[in-house]
Amino acid sequence: MTGTFVSFTRADLAAIAPEIALVAAGCLILLLEAFAPRLRRWFATVALAGVAASLWFLVQAPTGTTFGGRYDTSSLTVLMGLFLGATAVVAILVAKPYLERTGEERGEFYALLLWGHTGVMLMTRGLDLLIVFIGLETLSLSFYVLAGFFRRVSASSEAGLKYFLTGAFGSAFTLYGIALLFGASGGTRIEELSRPGLADSTAVTFGLLLLLVGFGFKMSLAPFHAWAPDVYQGMPTPAVAYLSVAPKGASVLVLFRVFGAVFEHGMPDRFRTAVAALAIFSMTLGNVVALAQRDAKRLLAYSGIAQMGYVTIALAVFGRDALAAVLVYFFAYLVSNAGAFAAVSALYRDETKPHPVGLLSGAGRTAPFPAAVLALCLFSLAGIPATAGFIGKFFLFKAALEQGLYALALIGVLNSLVSIGYYLKVVYILYMREPIEGEVPPPLAPSDRLALALCAAGILILGIFPASLWAIARQAAATLPLAGP
Amino acid sequence: MDALLRDHLVSVVVFLPLAGAALLLLLPRSAAGAARNIAFGVSVLDLVASLPLWTRFLVGEPGFQLREKVDWIPQLGIGYSVGLDGISLLLVMLTTVLTPVSLLFSLTHVEKEVRGYSVAFLVLETGMLGSLVALDLALFYVFWEVMLVPMYFIIGIWGGPRRIYASMKFFLFTMSGSLLMFLAILFVAIRHHAATGAWSFALEDLLGMTFTGRVETWLFLAFALAFAIKVPVFPLHTWLPDAHTEAPTAGSIILAGVMLKLGAYGYLRFALPLFPDAAMRFAPWLGVLGVIGVIYGAMVAYAQHDMKRLVAYSSVSHLGLVVIGIGAFTTMSLSGSILQMINHGLSTGALFLLVGVLYERRHTRELDAYGGIAAVVPVTTALFLIATLSSIGLPGLNGFVGEFTILLGTWLSPHRWWSGAAATGVILSAIYMLTLVQRVFWNPLVHDENKKLTDIRPSEFIAAATLVVLMVWIGVRPNDVLDRIRPAVESLQKSVAARQVALRQIARPGIAEVRR
Repeated sequence: MTGTFVSFTRADLAAIAPEIALVAAGCLILLLEAFAPRLRRWFATVALAGVAASLWFLVQAPTGTTFGGRYDTSSLTVLMGLFLGATAVVAILVAKPYLERTGEERGEFYALLLWGHTGVMLMTRGLDLLIVFIGLETLSLSFYVLAGFFRRVSASSEAGLKYFLTGAFGSAFTLYGIALLFGASGGTRIEELSRPGLADSTAVTFGLLLLLVGFGFKMSLAPFHAWAPDVYQGMPTPAVAYLSVAPKGASVLVLFRVFGAVFEHGMPDRFRTAVAALAIFSMTLGNVVALAQRDAKRLLAYSGIAQMGYVTIALAVFGRDALAAVLVYFFAYLVSNAGAFAAVSALYRDETKPHPVGLLSGAGRTAPFPAAVLALCLFSLAGIPATAGFIGKFFLFKAALEQGLYALALIGVLNSLVSIGYYLKVVYILYMREPIEGEVPPPLAPSDRLALALCAAGILILGIFPASLWAIARQAAATLPLAGP
Repeated sequence: MDALLRDHLVSVVVFLPLAGAALLLLLPRSAAGAARNIAFGVSVLDLVASLPLWTRFLVGEPGFQLREKVDWIPQLGIGYSVGLDGISLLLVMLTTVLTPVSLLFSLTHVEKEVRGYSVAFLVLETGMLGSLVALDLALFYVFWEVMLVPMYFIIGIWGGPRRIYASMKFFLFTMSGSLLMFLAILFVAIRHHAATGAWSFALEDLLGMTFTGRVETWLFLAFALAFAIKVPVFPLHTWLPDAHTEAPTAGSIILAGVMLKLGAYGYLRFALPLFPDAAMRFAPWLGVLGVIGVIYGAMVAYAQHDMKRLVAYSSVSHLGLVVIGIGAFTTMSLSGSILQMINHGLSTGALFLLVGVLYERRHTRELDAYGGIAAVVPVTTALFLIATLSSIGLPGLNGFVGEFTILLGTWLSPHRWWSGAAATGVILSAIYMLTLVQRVFWNPLVHDENKKLTDIRPSEFIAAATLVVLMVWIGVRPNDVLDRIRPAVESLQKSVAARQVALRQIARPGIAEVRR
């Protein structure tokens, strides 16, 4: 058993080639930054190439597990990898003009983003809780630095410190949970948690609850959400576009993996009640507090808290269809939420100041394209049909109703009614208020335009032709040994 | 092209406006004139394309015609399934007529963000037409919700002073009903899957479902609420006066002319046949709410000082009549209700249009600001008078046929007294509408501003005259319309009766309990 890490086979190498490509691209950018700073304008391209290479290796890698059953290359991780890679692409595309505008185009940004991305990939592909944890920490450390990227802006430093403190707190929960699970099962591989009898042990129950708390932090699930609005506000917007989407998807997948291993015969009702309570609390708190927000990034932070509440419904439903619904939901969430942050990034001129929604007054006229995409993203987040967000909610609520979780589904749709209040408020400001004199949004950069167009196309295509993604997601979800339909 | 028009005529009619909207998005934003003309041209083209629907529709044939079916989300049995029966045919024609009429009016009266305005109207038209032809519940829901977004923008951007409040209220009211319907649709499909092992959202498959009494009641209420808000049935009507008053003229025409009808249409198409037992149990309540709506709407309309608000409340009253006819559920009352939906679309559409004509010249809708302008604007006056007479049911015009059929049909039902109450509403409508005409057009001419009012322009005249011609046509030859409605109504009644018999035979304990 100890020998598995020593014998390093060709298959193992092929399996981690995606991560190697990302790390290498990050290193290359740092080296270029140090020795050829004149090539700065190509950094984004290098980063994109790194992501593309990693996706290519991911698709090429032979399916199955490697590193002695500790690393996964199933269709599930490939699909998840595509989701994460697409998020990274949007973030990089938005980052280039953003950093140019602020005059802070430094290689570290891309390098840290790529390394953080590597961490998220590890989280989704690790079948060993230690690999998952290493991934989590790689992600966290990279993004602690990214949060404080604007060293001279106090809000950014505040974001960095806040994220670091709360993140460390969350990681401690996760690690303690892993320790308990290790103690109970005698191994760190997730598979070993499915030994009979473990599901009833107190240590495992506590371990799982601690994991739920730890990953709840990463998902910004209420009541572990308090960091999100402050951090989003201070962090460079392109980094938020990534952080608000990718790690959340990875965290949910990890929870599904671990719960799936422990609860081989379905989730016990007591546990389900706890998860459902978390879902209700997060949805309601996120939506109600978002109604009072005046800052675009804070508003989106609370909207994200609510959205993660919806996702947690699927965790309470638990089963293959629920996982497939989550996968579809996250693709929808990617195009809508990353798209919304991309639009916010393209609409505000001064990046280092707060982003009051009121500043977007009349942007529908002064910056028609980003404003239209932002409106589309918000309608999608609200779950209006013919957008991706509706499809996500459709499968999610279907899964909940199928399992008889009527109250949860009802609370979910009532919550989306509440959410319309603040999503429409932004649309109202964009289109129904007169532009403010002298407040002109910055000119739209080509790569911003590309990112926005990709997200808008994603929202509409997914919203109108969801059948193939649903088929792929169901196939991918079938690779996890989950109880239930 | 020929094959497209032959086999996919319904889809062509539904998606042509959307294609027009996409075309408009390619134009530069500043090309206001081109946007206006293209939007109007597309809507006229859609009207032309919809005419073969009328001629190719086989009169007297029950069931859905001109069907099209394509898989959409095959894993869940969701299909793009469309088709027409008499009810949807008429409402489709109403939509394709009213959209160019309202865009024709907008040609001269909308200056702000013309391209966006045109796009919104065309998307709205696709949404309305799609809801009217969809025979798959998921598809219907998508179209049903898609309608909200352009209307929200139309009220919110091009509306009156309180447009923000009105547009938000409109969106939230409608959405709150729809979301519950969304869960109910999912629930029905899941039950169908559990019972048969096959996924389907198609109306024809789900019609075979039976539910226990309590479940059926909840499902029915979820559907009925969504549709009742849209109609709107008293006391869910409060969004309507605000939305109508604040919407731009063209928006009011579409809102009153078509969107309100979609509530009644949805009730007849989905809520009633899917949950016949619950629907029959709640029918008396529906009728009573209709009666309240008729009288309440009429009384509030009488008290208004704003012309548009007056017409808006008259809609509450007139649609109350439609609701009574549906609640009475005789062949005649149902036919009358459907005919009256068309009539109301024509007459209220014309009234909103003509109020818009006056407003564009005088920039006020206060009744007191007018008076005695009949001599100043004779053509407008004549058209307004015809629309008013149609609205209050003068024999020879369409309104009379509709109202009379509803009253007679309701008299034949067990709820005779509704008929009496509804007749009061008809009389009240004559009072407030004629008072309106009296105060605006006849009373002495006291305001100097009114002496210089210009009469209706040719484009406005064509828009209004189109509606007047249709009013006269239906008034003189109502059977052209009624013949198309009757088979649809009879098959609706038959299916409900058959389902009730089937339910009684199964006699689940839940139902037995309720019946006692």
